[in-house]
Amino acid sequence: MRIMKRLTVLFVMMALIITACSNDNNKSNSTSDAGKNNAAAETDGNKDTGDSKSSGKMTDVGTPRSETLIVDILGGRSPDPDRYNPYVPGAVAMDAGVHQLMFSNLWEIDTQKGTQIPDLAATFPEPLDGTNTKFKFKIQEGLSWSDGQPFTAHDVEFTAKMIADTKELGYNGYFTNLVKSMKATDDYTIEVETVNPETRLAQKLGVVIWGNTFRVMPKHIWEKEDPATFKFSNPIGVGPYKLKDRDPQGNWFLWEKREDWQKSDIGKLVGEPGPKYILFKFFGPEEKRIIAMIQHDMDILQDITPESWDVLRQKNEYAKAWYNDFPYATMDDPCERGMSFNTAKEPYNNPDVRWALALMTDIKNVSMATFGGMLRVSPIQLPPIKVLQDNYHKPMLGWLKDFALEDGYKPFDDSYAAGIVDMLKQQGVEGLPTDQSAISDTFGVGWWKFDPAEAAKLLEKNGFKKDGDKWLLPNGKPWTMTINAPANFEVQSMRLAFAVADSWRKQGIEVNVQQMEGASFWDSESTGAFEIGSYWPACGLLPDTTANMTGWHKQYIVPIGEQAPGNRNRWANDRVSTLLDELDGLPSDDPKVIQNITEINKEFVKGMPFIPMFGTSKFVPVDTYYWDGFQTSENAFEGPWWWWSQFKFYTPHLKPTGR
Amino acid sequence: MGFYKFLLSRVLSFVLVVFIGITTVFFVPRFMPSDPVEAMIGKMTANQAFMEPEAIVTLRETLNESFGLEGSMWDQYWGFVKRVIITQDFGPSLASYPNPVNELIVKALPWTMGLLLISTIIAWLIGNVVGLLAGFLKDKSYSKAMEAISIMIYPIPYYILALILIMLLTYIYPIFPLSATFQGEGFSWEHIKSIVYNSILPALSMILVGTGWWVISMKTLSSGIAEEDYVHFARLKGLSERKIMTKYVLPNAALPQVTMLALQIGTIFNGALITEILFGYPGIGTLIYTGILQADYNLIMGTITLSIIAVAAATFIVDFLYPFIDPRVRYK
Amino acid sequence: MKHWNFRLKLGVLLLGIFIILGFIVPFFYQGNPIEWGTYLKNLKPSKEHIFGTTNLGQDTFWLLAKSIQNSFIIGIIVAFFATLIGVLLGLWAGFKGGFIDRLITVLTDSFIVIPSLPILILLGSLMQGKASLFMIAFVLIIFNWPWPARQIRSMALSLSERDFISTAIFSGQNTLKIIVKEIFPFVAGWSVANFVNTILVAIGSESGLAVIGMSSNEKATLGTMIYWANQHQAMLSERWWWIGSPVVAIALIFIALFLVMTGYQQYSALRRGK
Repeated sequence: MRIMKRLTVLFVMMALIITACSNDNNKSNSTSDAGKNNAAAETDGNKDTGDSKSSGKMTDVGTPRSETLIVDILGGRSPDPDRYNPYVPGAVAMDAGVHQLMFSNLWEIDTQKGTQIPDLAATFPEPLDGTNTKFKFKIQEGLSWSDGQPFTAHDVEFTAKMIADTKELGYNGYFTNLVKSMKATDDYTIEVETVNPETRLAQKLGVVIWGNTFRVMPKHIWEKEDPATFKFSNPIGVGPYKLKDRDPQGNWFLWEKREDWQKSDIGKLVGEPGPKYILFKFFGPEEKRIIAMIQHDMDILQDITPESWDVLRQKNEYAKAWYNDFPYATMDDPCERGMSFNTAKEPYNNPDVRWALALMTDIKNVSMATFGGMLRVSPIQLPPIKVLQDNYHKPMLGWLKDFALEDGYKPFDDSYAAGIVDMLKQQGVEGLPTDQSAISDTFGVGWWKFDPAEAAKLLEKNGFKKDGDKWLLPNGKPWTMTINAPANFEVQSMRLAFAVADSWRKQGIEVNVQQMEGASFWDSESTGAFEIGSYWPACGLLPDTTANMTGWHKQYIVPIGEQAPGNRNRWANDRVSTLLDELDGLPSDDPKVIQNITEINKEFVKGMPFIPMFGTSKFVPVDTYYWDGFQTSENAFEGPWWWWSQFKFYTPHLKPTGR
Repeated sequence: MGFYKFLLSRVLSFVLVVFIGITTVFFVPRFMPSDPVEAMIGKMTANQAFMEPEAIVTLRETLNESFGLEGSMWDQYWGFVKRVIITQDFGPSLASYPNPVNELIVKALPWTMGLLLISTIIAWLIGNVVGLLAGFLKDKSYSKAMEAISIMIYPIPYYILALILIMLLTYIYPIFPLSATFQGEGFSWEHIKSIVYNSILPALSMILVGTGWWVISMKTLSSGIAEEDYVHFARLKGLSERKIMTKYVLPNAALPQVTMLALQIGTIFNGALITEILFGYPGIGTLIYTGILQADYNLIMGTITLSIIAVAAATFIVDFLYPFIDPRVRYK
Repeated sequence: MKHWNFRLKLGVLLLGIFIILGFIVPFFYQGNPIEWGTYLKNLKPSKEHIFGTTNLGQDTFWLLAKSIQNSFIIGIIVAFFATLIGVLLGLWAGFKGGFIDRLITVLTDSFIVIPSLPILILLGSLMQGKASLFMIAFVLIIFNWPWPARQIRSMALSLSERDFISTAIFSGQNTLKIIVKEIFPFVAGWSVANFVNTILVAIGSESGLAVIGMSSNEKATLGTMIYWANQHQAMLSERWWWIGSPVVAIALIFIALFLVMTGYQQYSALRRGK
């Protein structure tokens, strides 16, 4: 009897735990809401006057919730919240609001149009003579630093000189190879002399993707300091916000709108920023970040998984992603994901083998396993974002359809989009696009056929043999391979590696996925210590993608074991190199640029040093409970690039909801 | 004179253990397939546009120089040993360059010590009381219930247990804050209050997961001792059960438990890793994690050397405490 | 069987269920339960899939069975060797004293003082993802023998002061015999507890490694099953079978082992007539 009693206790306890978890979760919404209402009621009760507009909820840093925009920090906790010197490598967490709200660059990017726009500079560099080494540009007038000092061309000149004179700065090497001198001829004019002829100076000193290292620093503060050791603990910038408070532990940063916001770059170029306070805060692992948004304690989340978005969508009716319906995520991120080969290693030095692997990829199932089908395919070396799709993917369709392998086999399949839509319907997904062109805009122009038979032909031609259901290398040993993948960052690339491995394994190759922490992951790419990797050497944003492709020049190839400055796939292609040399001499807006880049893309299709698969799908949900006016597919004044320096350009669009 | 001989040999082995430990710690990260300079270059080139090869070569030289990673591995080792012994300085952190590692550790140490010391000791106390009762008073129903609960919680993987706690107490019943925000500064009441408030949840998770093992281990020890002859004699002599428990069973069962506690306290720096990451707590665990992720040699060496010294010191002290707890052991 | 107490019976029964689940049930499944996309995703439990399917299109039940098998293998190997090595060295050191004691103590202490996690991560990246389950077991043995060694040494130290041991030593019996006959019975109970604990530590460490992506995430273990479920937010999206079944399995395996252990102690105490 005693024993029975004990057992009953045991099982009852266990049952309790299990049911507690599941039941409570079902009613979680109501409970937490109830909790909130109680709390709200209490505070209302305390306040006799009872302000009807706001319930008076405060954030845990002591600002009114209704005036505070809370943003997730992509890079997580900051190691040193007292350091804002952007030129000392490593310590400054740029994405905790520092480069989004405070520092500004000379030129910014408009990702919707695919053009650069002026920020601190008022004009683009104009060549002064025919050598393409001397340029002039204007600086915005009437701006000031957040401490009230005017911002002038002398600050720009000072910054350039400081970088060139301080060898300890990580940026010194790059900058001195690019710029010979930068002079302020008056308060608002800069003259630049470059080391070599330049056709894309604004792209090198301004923002194209994410941000740019050339950030102008205030002369009146920095001239008294040693730039190699200066902490800049009380940072100022020309951006519309200033740092009000920070967590000594580096988990949050509170930014306040400048009183003289009219004199900030955004004040002059766009208008008054909406939120009085912007709190950048890191909540910890993904689960906690999701819970934070469910509880309306977070307004903007950076980069979560599709599963998390599913949870969020169901538990917070105010949460919005880029699209209202499937696939929800924005697909305009400027890098595409796929499988990258080390073409200096057997047997991946053989284009037939690389092509065979492409044809062995069951792309629809890979898409399902990676991100539940919420992905856009790309058959070429450029990400399938709107601007580039219009310039390359769509115009190249005819060529892709006619493209044939050596034996005359035409591998292109333009039915991918229709196929994945059918598959998703089977899974019970609702709200899929129905219009033919909308379908292919969403899911991509097409990809390569899934044709193991043709792949087998290619392999057998090169001496591979199939033994039962396993592939043998030409030397008779079983074919094994390792795919490098990010450990727990860049989730899409990580998942893609596992999904592709699963697909190839089913075709009879022994595939391992090696997950690596950031440092080792990047290191093995540049030293060539990989066979196949889930890297993404395929980025681009402007129609002129020269800067993104320069690295593929054969001059950058180094032996395995050495750090490669570019061309980490070690793929030597003469035609690509010649085309790149030509591109270097052309100005960005020359019509020949697109022509040359199209030709480069054709070479990539033939050689396949990287199997492009999907554009990046980013889930960056916003909560419209306290704030509204966020950019979405219907209100696409910009993309949702909350970790880029162009964040400050969004702030005037954001409006409080009054809750 | 036995005592001095004992002392000498203990000091000798302490030095030896620490030396072997830190030597390993120096060389192990250097076999990692990555190094901090390349990691930083990778980080810089991943976020931004492509860099000219010459620029990368210059950048690499600059970084190597400022990180102090020049010379052969042997030179670096020698420099490291000298630095640690003479100046107790671990150099600058590479991940949050140029902050000195020492400064980072000093900042993080009180947090970890506060949280883990307290929760480890609480878990130890609860665990031993429950275990003693469960082992000695096997037939009482409350001791059974407590034992049953602790053995059920114990095997749940810590990560899951902590997540369940977070879900229960910050989401379903939002009693505690989702992430730690510390108000005020210094020794103000507000600051201390917010630290305590923010630390309850991580401490609770540590206590829950820690208690189980103490219960099980204490129960086994004490139920073994309860069957010893001297306990039977004591019973025959008519001593009360309570007296038997405290006078006979407890001292004998406590010795291994004290050893274990000392070691446990030494290792709290590592135990903190998952807790601190999960609860956003700013301690040594977070530092070690950053160090590993970013291949920050100096930070890894600094934090781990500290941990090694702490554990070695703990075992050293335990050896001296033995004779006080168990009079049958002499220094020898 | 007749004299078995209830604890023992229940423990053996539970353990038996898991051994059948882990070592016999997987034979009834054609194909590889860890392959993705075999079935439709996220199906509710039904006749065909008694635990439903995962977000990756695997059958949760078969995946669980395979995971139990692999985790058992890791746990038992690690626990057996770590306890064996630890107990033998600990006894030897504590009993022999002198130079041997110092040497073994320095060795165990050096291993104890080095925190295992960074080393595990390092080994994980050195093995380049080709870590077999045995390799992981081997690494875990390295980090799990020093604890029992130290603990047992301190027990042996205390035991060796006792009269009957001294008598044995003075009567000239050989050391091994004394250890096995006189001392081991005293530490056996603790060793079994340590064995059980190490099984769990091994399963737990493996899942800890899995969380940071350093285990072989393509092998089915209870750890990697939790890892994948976590990766796909199974807890927040209430896919309880996926995340819950490995957790409950770990808990039940432990309870089973615990019941067997304590039940056996009672049983043998009864047989000894106490």
